[in-house]
Amino acid sequence: MSVIVEAFGLVFQPNVLLVILGSACFGMFVGAIPGLTATMATALLVPITFFMDPVPAIGAIVTATAMAIFAGDIPGALLRMPGTPASAAYVEDAYRMTRSGRSEESLGAALVFSAIGGIFGTIVLVTASPALAEVALKFSSFEYFWLVVLGLSCAVFVSPGSVTRGIISLLIGLFAATIGIDNPAGEPRYTFGNVELLAGVQFIPAMIGLFAVSEVLRSVVSRSERPPVPPSSGDGIFRSQWTNLKRYPVQVLRGSVLGTAIGALPGAGADIAAWISYAVSKRFSKQPQKFGTGHVEGLVEAGASNNGAVSGAWIPALVFGIPGDSITAIVIGVLYIKGLNPGPTIFINDPQLIYAVFIVFFLANIIMLPLGWVAIKSAGTILAVPERVLMPIILMFCIVGSFAINNSIFGVILMLIFGVLGFLMDENDIPIAPAILGLVLGPMLEQNFITSMIKADGSFLAFFERPIAAGLGLFTIAIWCLPLIAMMIARRKRTAPGPNAPD
Amino acid sequence: MKLNDLSLGILVLLSGVGIYLSALQFSPIPGQAYGAETMPTTIALVAIGLGVFMIGKAVVVRNAAPVLALADWTRSPMALVGLSVAIGLVVFYILFSQAIGFVPTAFLVIVTLMLTLRTRPVTAILVSLLATIVIQQAFGRLLLVPLPRSALGFLW
Repeated sequence: MSVIVEAFGLVFQPNVLLVILGSACFGMFVGAIPGLTATMATALLVPITFFMDPVPAIGAIVTATAMAIFAGDIPGALLRMPGTPASAAYVEDAYRMTRSGRSEESLGAALVFSAIGGIFGTIVLVTASPALAEVALKFSSFEYFWLVVLGLSCAVFVSPGSVTRGIISLLIGLFAATIGIDNPAGEPRYTFGNVELLAGVQFIPAMIGLFAVSEVLRSVVSRSERPPVPPSSGDGIFRSQWTNLKRYPVQVLRGSVLGTAIGALPGAGADIAAWISYAVSKRFSKQPQKFGTGHVEGLVEAGASNNGAVSGAWIPALVFGIPGDSITAIVIGVLYIKGLNPGPTIFINDPQLIYAVFIVFFLANIIMLPLGWVAIKSAGTILAVPERVLMPIILMFCIVGSFAINNSIFGVILMLIFGVLGFLMDENDIPIAPAILGLVLGPMLEQNFITSMIKADGSFLAFFERPIAAGLGLFTIAIWCLPLIAMMIARRKRTAPGPNAPD
Repeated sequence: MKLNDLSLGILVLLSGVGIYLSALQFSPIPGQAYGAETMPTTIALVAIGLGVFMIGKAVVVRNAAPVLALADWTRSPMALVGLSVAIGLVVFYILFSQAIGFVPTAFLVIVTLMLTLRTRPVTAILVSLLATIVIQQAFGRLLLVPLPRSALGFLW
């Protein structure tokens, strides 16, 4: 009990609350601007959180991401331009509702059901993580090895797009993680005599480059003027939501559960949760034909789902130290920098910190309602800030942020290299999330593999000798086989002509 | 600037071979079969396998995509200038910020990119000045980051 009181004491301090409020506004703003993602909001916040205590630092990231995922719905509904990829699934419905004079109902639904999904995910996080941490305490390097491989595999296979390009991205991240002296043999690798590279690729400049600088470059080459924002219309942001809640209780629950579960899967985050939930909603709807025509049902379910995923992604991050998505990958990097080792021991060593994080989660999802209301009402002003003014400032912010971590210009050089790399990856449809997971998890993968092999005296079978390790191993291998099975089914369909096939 | 599957496959294969050869210089932990070379070698082998798979698939499918497909933006001089200026400005900051100090360099970086993106000059100058001061105060004063000082002293 005293731990919880201590956690409340950590959160309810004027400076912490101020940080939370400030980052909430920041998250709202970044999420509401098309082209600036929730991950970018995190990337831009990290250099500032670097100078804070752990609770305000993590509080800032939690609040900003929750707000950004909701705020992504604002330009989606008003301009048909999803503010973050997580809002893309139901953009058509939201936009058509605006066109038919129901913008307040559509954005109100996005807001209220985002908050409900977020709170549901947080309840699961609060109840499941301590129990899972108990189990995780018994894990050895074999289980951790499989967990890391599972996380990396999900990042490649579950994310949308081509698997081969996902693997390329993962290899880029893993290779970047090999640089430096921090490996089991303690031998400098790929440092080319550079002293700064001995410590490895600095995580924060690399991440700022991949997520923020690449976006600045993208916006510079494909500048698009945003159309004017239509005036707010409809009968109130909150008024119709009670009706929606009574009409779609199953959808809200299903979206929250599925979103949290997908978020908790290592490697899959809010974007994928929203797409899957929208598809599920349509599949089980009594009026599937209405989807895509300005129907609120899919929006309710997928809106709850993507915010549920934001909370769910923290479960593997806190319990195992394995990120659920690219945002928690960044958080794990931040925790390591702060000297806190994410994983089950954090529940024993710093329980007050974990409870403080839980409190912040609840707080973030509650203040989302009033702040979201303000954001919806002031959408015209937020969206009036032109990219040509915003992007140069963001670029400067990236430069200073990359410099500030080690007070070294080398950080800026790394940022530029990774920025150009991220831009080229994007040009070639290579996803960025697997690379960042590879960069964060690479050292953990190597450490656990080498330790396990030394323990097992070189026998690969040892990876399947412990029951949980065997289960995780088989599950991972099953995920690897999925594309092969899908390919075989597709081929069989092609070779076996149906009754109507032309001969 | 999109490579087709065949050329991307060749690039992946060559990178794999390069990493494999470079990993030969690393040695295992004394007395063990594994060590510093394990991870790079594994990455290299996966890359080689993936490269071969991609090349094989591209040869079988025979996609007509060109070796290097240029995206629409590459035909717009504005976009090319914008991209070069954005990258060039970061390089400029890396090379000169220590010598001429944070405030002048940051102002130049922001205002140049704004003007390149066709922001109205008055807006560009005012916003750049304001942004520079806010960033300098936030990081330099509040967070105590030792931003490069100007030789001109007063332009901290």
